Amino acid sequence: MAELEIWEDLFSQNNRKAAENRNVFKSHGIYVINMMGSPGSGKTTLLENILPKLGAHLRTAVIEGDLATQNDALRIEKTGITALQINTDGACHLESEMIEKQLSMLDLNSLDLIIIENVGNLVCPASFDLGEDMRMVVLSVAEGKDKPVKYPTAFLNADTVVITKTDLVPYVDVDVDVMKRYIAGINPKAVVFETAKKDGAYMSDQLVGYIIDQAGRKKGV
Amino acid sequence: MHETALVRNLLATVGQAIDVHHIKKVNRVVISAGKLANVLPDALIFAFEAMTQDGPMKGAELEIRSVPAVARCDDCGYEYQADGFPIVCPVCKSNGFRIISGEEVYIESIEYEE
Repeated sequence: MAELEIWEDLFSQNNRKAAENRNVFKSHGIYVINMMGSPGSGKTTLLENILPKLGAHLRTAVIEGDLATQNDALRIEKTGITALQINTDGACHLESEMIEKQLSMLDLNSLDLIIIENVGNLVCPASFDLGEDMRMVVLSVAEGKDKPVKYPTAFLNADTVVITKTDLVPYVDVDVDVMKRYIAGINPKAVVFETAKKDGAYMSDQLVGYIIDQAGRKKGV
Repeated sequence: MHETALVRNLLATVGQAIDVHHIKKVNRVVISAGKLANVLPDALIFAFEAMTQDGPMKGAELEIRSVPAVARCDDCGYEYQADGFPIVCPVCKSNGFRIISGEEVYIESIEYEE
């Protein structure tokens, strides 16, 4: 019997492609957000509401990841923003190579921002770097205040956490401040935003302002 | 639950080693999985067995060693095992940290018949 040492990270293939993607984004000055969260956390609804506001300042495209259907891309296109749909055929997360393949379908010279909506899943996407600048975790109040501590790895590397559906607080018995304390306990550096529907309008201006600011900083570098 | 994706990468990497070293039969593959890598050992072994039904890795044993999560304190630089949440430095009580290991899954080595 002989032994051979290998010492290779199983994520190295994904990480290499992610680094290539990151270089492409950098050379075009495109800011990229990798948005993840459970199914039903409100990722697509969040996009539908912030895209018109973002689109007024930044040339934006969206890449949608789902197991099946074109439904989300069609929803996004109604906002007037270009949307590409990846169907993973059962895979639980997006990988950097899937993003690379989509990039040839976008005019990168005329973009400032790409938002990638990952497959609805709070576990697996966290392990796969796509080349993004911002990791955003979307979490609705209906999922329970202790969700961050039950699924810590997604929050551990998040740059931003968006707590959605805060208008439902009276119905779901969740204290948003406690939820925020749980998030801070895992990742004190994450910037936390809240969104809500109020009198028929979707409140997300702080988040929109933050994204425009961050994307501007990258462009400026 | 992305064990098949990990096994696919494992087979590609070990497959290269098999080609380079002209290995006929692999008996054991040893990997180390970080506590934060979301790897389920049973699911990984199941996927590995299902995906090595023929070829030089058929019947090989997959050994998975667990690697603890290690954090480095942002404030005092102390490195400590991050067993649970919240992650707090045992020396200076700061909650600022960077994870320095525990998120990776490494193929350490293979054992093969010469």
